[in-house]
Amino acid sequence: MPDVLTQSGLSYPKQDLKEGLQTRLETLRRSQNPDGGWGFVPGKASWLEPTAYAALALHGEPAADRAWALLRSWQLPDGGWPPSAGVKASGWGTALCATIAMARNEWDAPLQKGIAWLVGAAGVETNWLAVVFSRIGLVDYGRNVALKAWPWRPGNSGWVEPTVHALVALKLAAPKLSSKELRERVQTGEAQLLDVRGRDGGWNYGSPKVLGVELPSYPETTALALVALQGRKDMGKAFDLARKQIAETPSPMARAWLTIAMRLHGMDVNPPEPAGKSPADLVITAVEALAAPEGNFRFFKTPALSGGAV
Amino acid sequence: MKCGLNPDRREFLAIAGAGAVAGYAGYTGGRGEKPKSEAKFPLSTQTSSAVIVKADSYSRDLAGIMMQGILECGLDVTGKSVLLKPNFVEFDPNTCINTDVAVVATALDVFRTLGAADVKIAEGPGHRRDTFAIAELTRYRSEIKDFDDVFVDLNRDDVSPVQGFADRAEFYFPNTVLAADVIVSLAKMKTHHWAGATLSMKNFFGLVPGSVYGWPKNELHHIGIPKSIVELTRLFGPKSFAIVDGIMGMEGNGPIQGTPKKAGVMVMGSDLPAVDATCCRIMGIDPARVEYLQMAADRYGITDAARIEQRGETIASVRTDFQLIKEFKHLRLT
Repeated sequence: MPDVLTQSGLSYPKQDLKEGLQTRLETLRRSQNPDGGWGFVPGKASWLEPTAYAALALHGEPAADRAWALLRSWQLPDGGWPPSAGVKASGWGTALCATIAMARNEWDAPLQKGIAWLVGAAGVETNWLAVVFSRIGLVDYGRNVALKAWPWRPGNSGWVEPTVHALVALKLAAPKLSSKELRERVQTGEAQLLDVRGRDGGWNYGSPKVLGVELPSYPETTALALVALQGRKDMGKAFDLARKQIAETPSPMARAWLTIAMRLHGMDVNPPEPAGKSPADLVITAVEALAAPEGNFRFFKTPALSGGAV
Repeated sequence: MKCGLNPDRREFLAIAGAGAVAGYAGYTGGRGEKPKSEAKFPLSTQTSSAVIVKADSYSRDLAGIMMQGILECGLDVTGKSVLLKPNFVEFDPNTCINTDVAVVATALDVFRTLGAADVKIAEGPGHRRDTFAIAELTRYRSEIKDFDDVFVDLNRDDVSPVQGFADRAEFYFPNTVLAADVIVSLAKMKTHHWAGATLSMKNFFGLVPGSVYGWPKNELHHIGIPKSIVELTRLFGPKSFAIVDGIMGMEGNGPIQGTPKKAGVMVMGSDLPAVDATCCRIMGIDPARVEYLQMAADRYGITDAARIEQRGETIASVRTDFQLIKEFKHLRLT
């Protein structure tokens, strides 16, 4: 076999994320931009994603308040949030902002508009023509297109990660809002996630097959799907896979999300940390801080909705 | 004679230069300019060239091979900022998805040696969120000196809008891409289950930021994969140079789940459609049947074999047919 195919040898010393929590929080405090947000890496312009995760990780601190003030200022007239101040279109990050608002116990008119945006957002594959074609067997989409998922941005198809964050936000909002439509979106959203589950029990980033060929499950999307499917008792195979993934993946982001997923399902987990230099990625730093035993992963803890479907 | 599009090369460089002078925020990629000719196919009378160099393995003198191709093409990067855009998208130890680390490391050294003011490696993987984890698995992080310092994750770079990409009023691109004087598409020679083949042009999907368009960059699928490839070539082709890693390519169900296929070549040139058409012929694929090459032909480059001067090796001497999935059997070059 040529050396191009040789897998790199990676080793990890046993450490607990707990040890690194304060270090990570301090990194976040030091790297906050003057506008209150965070870039993906220190010194770069603020983006919604690192700002949202950092705000959750630092919840209760003035830094988190400044971050939330910045994010609130970005909300667009349609109720959604753009990925950054410079990008003028609402997208999946709306769900993260809604989750922050729930963590802060805020529930005002702009936020409700954000929730309405999320309830109305859906992948374009779920249209009546596709549903008809699918039902009469004219086209095999490889998934049930009658089940609505969420896209990264309007006009696109639904994918696992934005669907997960939308489900978390809507479940958190559900107790505050008597909305049949919201509950239906949650139920069909969960059903959609289960529909695109791979045979190994985990999730790829979208459909489990392309052109009839099975795709591998990714650790990060498997973890996220488990975050969205809290309360389900039939996830054993997914957790078998997750335990394998957490031991094998070189991705600190994947390990952190797998840790969060396991903690939210009531499991004890002590993931290894990687040896060597970590890249300066503030999304990873924040998600790792959230994943720590004393971290704020609890803000992703969702209630069961009445009706028993979730 | 320089390699790539011959008479119109100066015009292409002028467009690229205009973008640099104007600053990238308002860069239109030349689209807003009045066409100088009313011809439907502006390059239909032009000729071009591409270089094919044999390279049996990654342990060979890659620097010498690469330098030979670059000098043959007359590419001058003195004092310029160069962005190396490899194809690293996923990792599977059982196949070869990515531009080999040896090719990327060599290109870094070569372009520095050629006097570039700054050389960066940049990529925005389309599937996986943790770019550095892929860089770890592909050995980029361990085998490219100071990788973290020279690498820009295009999925996490700051961005600026560009007007007129496809039918979108605004489309966002990473500032590092817009600011680069020269983009080197360090592509992998692979079949592709949606596009037929992925080469130097398709490799530009990685220039699109996940921070705005997600994982995958689904906006490009909705625009249309062939159209997106052509639009990316229209925008960035004029300031680009292609080096396709065909030493070990991928056949069958590419770009991720295919089988390693040794082609033993590197293909280079500054006319990306010409380079990709040449790669297709080496792979036993008829470029006239590849939709995005049809669309780009004579608009943004030359794909007609009769008008591409093949330097170095001949296509016939290195042709090795890549297996095609049933959906693309009709692409076979006869």
